[in-house]
Amino acid sequence: MVIYVAPKPKEMKDDFWKSKDIKISIGEIEENEGAKSVEEIPSGPTPKPSITDLRSWDMKLLDRYEPFYAPFCDMCCLCTFGKCDLNGKKGACGIDAAAQQARTVLLASCIGSACHSGHSRHLVDHLIHEFGADHPIDMGMNIDIEAPIMMTVLGKTPKNLGDLKEALDYLEEQMIHLLSACHTGQEGKSIDFESKALHAGLMDNLGMEIGDIAQIAALNLPKGDEDAPLVELGVGTIQTEKPVILCIGHNVLPGAGIMDYMDETGQEEDLEVCGICCAAIDISRYNNRAKVVGPMSKQLKFVRSGVADVIVVDEQCVRTDVLEEAQAKNTAVLATTDKICLGLPDLTDEDADKVVSKLVNKEIEGALILDPEKLGEIAVKTANILSPERANMKMLPDLDEIQKLAAECTECGWCQRVCPNSQPMMEAVTGAATGDFTGFENLYLTDVCYTCGRCEQECERELPLMSMLAKVGERLSKEEKFTIRAGRGPAQDVEIRKVGAPLVLGDIPGVIAFVGCSNYPEGGKEVAEMAKEFLERNYIVLTTGCGAMSIGEYKDEEGKTLYEQYSGDFDARGLVNMGSCVSNSHVVGATIKVANIFAKKPLEGNFEEIADYILNRVGACGVAWGAYSQKAAAIATGVNRWGIPVVLGPHGSKYRRLYLGRADKKESWKIKDLRTGEVLEGEPAPEHLLYAAETREEALPMIAKLCIRPTDTAKGRQIKLNNYLDLYKRYFGRLAPDVHLFIRNEKDIPITYKKDVQKVLEEVGWEPRKIAQEPSLMGMDGD
Amino acid sequence: MSNDRVIPWQPTVIAGPKQALMVTPETAELMIRKSKRPLFVLGPLVKEEPLLSLAVGIAEKWDLPVVTTGNAYKAFNEKGLDSTAYGAVEIVNLLKDPEWKGVNGEGQHDLVIFLGCIYYLASQGLSSLKHFAPHLKTLTICKFFHSNADASFPNMKDEEWLKYLAKMAGQ
Repeated sequence: MVIYVAPKPKEMKDDFWKSKDIKISIGEIEENEGAKSVEEIPSGPTPKPSITDLRSWDMKLLDRYEPFYAPFCDMCCLCTFGKCDLNGKKGACGIDAAAQQARTVLLASCIGSACHSGHSRHLVDHLIHEFGADHPIDMGMNIDIEAPIMMTVLGKTPKNLGDLKEALDYLEEQMIHLLSACHTGQEGKSIDFESKALHAGLMDNLGMEIGDIAQIAALNLPKGDEDAPLVELGVGTIQTEKPVILCIGHNVLPGAGIMDYMDETGQEEDLEVCGICCAAIDISRYNNRAKVVGPMSKQLKFVRSGVADVIVVDEQCVRTDVLEEAQAKNTAVLATTDKICLGLPDLTDEDADKVVSKLVNKEIEGALILDPEKLGEIAVKTANILSPERANMKMLPDLDEIQKLAAECTECGWCQRVCPNSQPMMEAVTGAATGDFTGFENLYLTDVCYTCGRCEQECERELPLMSMLAKVGERLSKEEKFTIRAGRGPAQDVEIRKVGAPLVLGDIPGVIAFVGCSNYPEGGKEVAEMAKEFLERNYIVLTTGCGAMSIGEYKDEEGKTLYEQYSGDFDARGLVNMGSCVSNSHVVGATIKVANIFAKKPLEGNFEEIADYILNRVGACGVAWGAYSQKAAAIATGVNRWGIPVVLGPHGSKYRRLYLGRADKKESWKIKDLRTGEVLEGEPAPEHLLYAAETREEALPMIAKLCIRPTDTAKGRQIKLNNYLDLYKRYFGRLAPDVHLFIRNEKDIPITYKKDVQKVLEEVGWEPRKIAQEPSLMGMDGD
Repeated sequence: MSNDRVIPWQPTVIAGPKQALMVTPETAELMIRKSKRPLFVLGPLVKEEPLLSLAVGIAEKWDLPVVTTGNAYKAFNEKGLDSTAYGAVEIVNLLKDPEWKGVNGEGQHDLVIFLGCIYYLASQGLSSLKHFAPHLKTLTICKFFHSNADASFPNMKDEEWLKYLAKMAGQ
């Protein structure tokens, strides 16, 4: 029997049917709204695109948003011809400075993409081993489009874990070709290195989606649940009198193994399991008793605090000297993936109790345990034994000792010069020498110190500056008790259906995603402040990873975190923690779903049309205020290829390449109206694709501006401009001087700024222009 | 360290063999005098006194067109200094285009003087201009040595730096 399902919105917002174990058999469904279908859907033009298949789209983007290069290094040091100085010269292989920068960005994007994809490959293989290849990819009743990136890029919807292997096979093939292009004597033009970097970014986005839907489906993480539980966040939430296991990294499996072992042995209340970086987020998605210490900026000071009895490292963003640091505190270290082995013996196949015995008797420095289940047992047993005997290791030198150490400072100032964030460490030390610890307190509390430890490496008196910081912060850390909403995973289709029209028309002024790492210029509080600003202005605010933690670390006057003040709905004024790094795929996924669910654009193998739609119609903007990693570079580059602009903090300039538009070049902004076929004068919307702002005050109006899109209705444009002009006026004290560029006709002028704007329009000789009904970069210049 | 004044303030920004020339206020003034179309770029680190007044003094003494970066515009505007606001990366992007007509529409600038941008961001911008803007020279008058500039003040303590700036402002 074939039933045709009428395309009406689903009302079901929970898993009621599943919870009642009600099964309805209606035979094979031939057609459904949205994109899910058992029937083979005709594929678009670029299923499984090769490196060159999307090159024409890349050239359109790069023509409008030209790469801006800021070399970190004048030289190339990759082959034995070198070093070659590329400052005004070509290298021995013929490469110039622009191509070398683009090549470095491609390399960084490949590294970042490989991290996510290697992580995903590990997850998929393990989960297939545990649950079987036919374990269904079921994202719950409210999500039909389970894998929007995969559908668009591969042209297929994965039905089960086994299907994800095909996606990984494709991705890995692409990555080999991309990485090979970095070799000396391969690609020669910066613009083609860029196209390849964009492809590497797309592979990164695909890899992230594979990983997250695999773990959501198999480990039953929240499936787009807007009411995902609040989880404890902050150093102060950890009960240090219990045995403490700290997980650092990104892979959920070791942490899940620990939680499972504790549950199975009835020890769920007996130990504390906490995490730093995305492992913390994903373990708390798996089991909300796990606690989140915070972003990676906490890493060294927390390890130095000695609170952890066992440190479990998995992959990505783990300090490479973690073993040395842990040994100084008699903390046991367990490595758990092939990415980080730390020189430790592989004892995966050894009896768990024997491994525990070797660890607690210091026969081994640590162990590599590649089986998450066994790891859980070893970690718990080791922590139970070590905890009582380590009680004195959880104490840092007292403040008198800190004062004595500080008195040894020679005031050479090099601690500040090598600080990546130019923080006043020397002042903190000289203050401490007199018994004034406020300098250290400021560095501790605001996270302007990344605890990288470069200051300590440079100190001519070898002062243990990070330990001193940890000690001064010890008292303050007890107050660090916050909440974070557990990562909910993707937006539900039903939510997209609700916000699709207001988002594309501009009534909801935009979707802003605060993502990335914690290399903040002025501390994490800025991220929370920016998020609050846009929540109050009715934007949909998404977040992931360290950004999500930073948002949770600040409370209002009533002592509430933003997660307690705003709902987790994917809607205006919703604060949506999507999850970890790999959950960034759902930020892109949500914009793809808008194109599919609201605009009925087919996804399968249809990348260019979807990206063109997102660029011109979906007012989304990413903000990676503290981005530091190659992964963040890959994510942003992939997101850019989908047509989503990204604003970085000032450290982002060190990525060497941005994509900047030129508002002063009118011809850059011409646009085709697909409805009429006319090529029209356009507007710089969005003006830049990858931008680095110097200050929060500069970033805020820029973010609002980057949400403007050519399809805004007059009402939507007024709302967006009102936000842009408000923020610009607040921080610059005047009307934004480029406002005339975004006024298509007088209906676009925000009422509150009408007189001021009209005056500007007169001054610049403004004239109204046609509005493209279906703006597109396609079909121009002989396409 | 004997050459401490000309090791980049953040020592790891050393990019290659080409290093900036260390200059005094006198040499900096000579560069401005020789320039036909100079530009003064002021960042958010000098938007408070006494640096604000010194920066305004320099702009006025040498009649320099001014670009403000980050959120520096408001403070300088309130101080009565007319400037054009750009993001630091935006102005560098414009400066590297030989066809750009400059902030006053009179042609691309031939000398850019930087003061008060975040060190590492300025270093990246200066690197961009070093590589891709052979048509102009860069001068930094921050209290930090910038090896990616063509010419830079040395690393200094505040007291010496304020004297340098006061000298350039004719105070």
